[in-house]
Amino acid sequence: MGILETHNLVKNFGGLTATDNVNIEIERGERVSIIGPNGAGKSTLVNLITRMLDPSEGDILFKGESIVNKDPHEVVQMGVSKSFQTASIFPELSVLENAEIAALAAERGSFNIDFLRHRDSLHSVHHLAEETLENVGLAGQADIPAEDLPYGDKRRLELGVALAAEPDLLLMDEPTAGMSPEETESTVDLIEEVKEELDLTFVLIEHDMEIIFDISDRIIVLNRGEVIARGTPDEIQGDPAVQEAYLGGVEL
Amino acid sequence: MSGDSPAASEDKPEDPGLAEIFFPHGKELRTMGLTAFVLVLFPWLFTEAPVVSGFLQGYHPLASLILIWGIFAFGFDILLGYTGLLSFGHAAFWGGAAYAAGIFSDMYLGQPLVMVGFGILVGVLLSWVIGFISLRRGGIYFAILTLAFGQMMFYLSAAPLGDITGGENGFTGVSVEPLLGMFDLGAELPFVGEFIGTWLYGFVAITTLVALALAYRILQSPYGIVFKAIRENEERAEFVGLNVWRYKLMSFIISGGFAGLAGGLYAIHQQYVPLSSLNWTVSGDIVIMTVLGGAGSLFGPLFGAALYKYIQNIISGMGELVIPFTDIVLIHDFGVYWHLLLGVVFVVIVWAAPDGIWGMIQSVRDKVNDVLGRTKDGDS
Repeated sequence: MGILETHNLVKNFGGLTATDNVNIEIERGERVSIIGPNGAGKSTLVNLITRMLDPSEGDILFKGESIVNKDPHEVVQMGVSKSFQTASIFPELSVLENAEIAALAAERGSFNIDFLRHRDSLHSVHHLAEETLENVGLAGQADIPAEDLPYGDKRRLELGVALAAEPDLLLMDEPTAGMSPEETESTVDLIEEVKEELDLTFVLIEHDMEIIFDISDRIIVLNRGEVIARGTPDEIQGDPAVQEAYLGGVEL
Repeated sequence: MSGDSPAASEDKPEDPGLAEIFFPHGKELRTMGLTAFVLVLFPWLFTEAPVVSGFLQGYHPLASLILIWGIFAFGFDILLGYTGLLSFGHAAFWGGAAYAAGIFSDMYLGQPLVMVGFGILVGVLLSWVIGFISLRRGGIYFAILTLAFGQMMFYLSAAPLGDITGGENGFTGVSVEPLLGMFDLGAELPFVGEFIGTWLYGFVAITTLVALALAYRILQSPYGIVFKAIRENEERAEFVGLNVWRYKLMSFIISGGFAGLAGGLYAIHQQYVPLSSLNWTVSGDIVIMTVLGGAGSLFGPLFGAALYKYIQNIISGMGELVIPFTDIVLIHDFGVYWHLLLGVVFVVIVWAAPDGIWGMIQSVRDKVNDVLGRTKDGDS
């Protein structure tokens, strides 16, 4: 049994079927990329898994348990984290406070009646927040407002926020979108590093072909909401259906 | 994630003992000490001090009224400034609690502490119910829903419940007993009466101090940072695993509780509850006070309330506007224009100092610190 499974997942927006009978299975420890042309339904699929959207039909199982009736924060608490396409951080708060919010949710759960408790007494939260910043290399910028970070660092902070919960499964929506080549390279290194350290399962949505073929164990190709191919990077590269749909028939 | 962890910090116990809760942390003691000092000085500066009071023309009951609205305002700011939720229905909690405390004093017990406690209870319960329904929607719909609930309360007490509330006349049966059965609130304080005023001010000031300490602690608790996270990026807050909905409801209830506390004090202060205390204009006034003082700060709204009440009560009574130290009259019947003046002040502050009065105070303090070459003091 995989860590994440979808069974006949369907999502309709009015007359449009954005996700069409998708069955995927992600094994623990795998790095899986989901690719497909624009409008293929990649983001919809991620939004269904993270419970931002309700599926029209079908089921999603995480660690064998159905999550279709759960709220997003409950799914996060179960161990599914998401890194957003844009640097989704808390802009006016300091870098450290950003990490603290994530650490708070990770250490103390989704809700507590503790409004008379001073934060200074939450040692494990501070510890985790500092550790999170060290892991993404932002410990030196802890006190500056997050909005003042350069874009690449914002993305690293966002990744840190997603990782503070020590998730079992990390969904990354185009982690290198809008980054310079240097930033892309350092982010890929970071992903590799984190993967080694945390024994994490990845699902990556990405346009950058180089990254996908570099760091994926397996690739799932979507087109018009359907899975049209799945396999290792080598298999996908040679698949005629993929070349037809995604690459417009151009030889790679 | 694996990092070499200093074991010491992880081994500390995390269960909150009573000591952890009640003992002051960090700057709490200093801040509250300073606040107490200001609260003691305030009535004297406002009403008695040479030169200053002559200029301000303050009087004692207004000093306590300012503090009561101040409590309402900084509680409201926890919702507006910190959590980023604009409610247009907080008259329901202020007025509802004032009526509740007033009617309670008439029917059962006029003990000020009990009246205030009952006000808080009613504020909390009302905001629980109204928040539970209104928070299902965001943005403008949330504001409209809260407004609708507030107006519902207004019309309820105007007519259908008129037998209990006194309808259009307001509730006139408030009967306040001496504090703790010993101290008449209208009497001057012993020894310091000349300086501070009545027991009423003492009672209101101590309540203000306790309420401020409580709000300050709430903002230093996990709630403070979670509220700001929701304000900054609600979606992200949900996706780090926080139950955003319940935290928003808590923010609403906390601000409703402070509004209830203030409303209870208001009934004691006025010994009367006007129907207008439930009117939507109260909900608007509290937004204006909070923004004037500085949304997103704890102490700012107190200044906003002070400025608003000052213009409403003192400027409005002024006859002629005279150029200081001359006899040249600029405007006759100046007081009539107090609404206009308030509007102009509001526009100027929002335009020139979006962080309100508190933002101005802070930037002046930062400049002074710069000149003195000190490092910036990150007080908030």
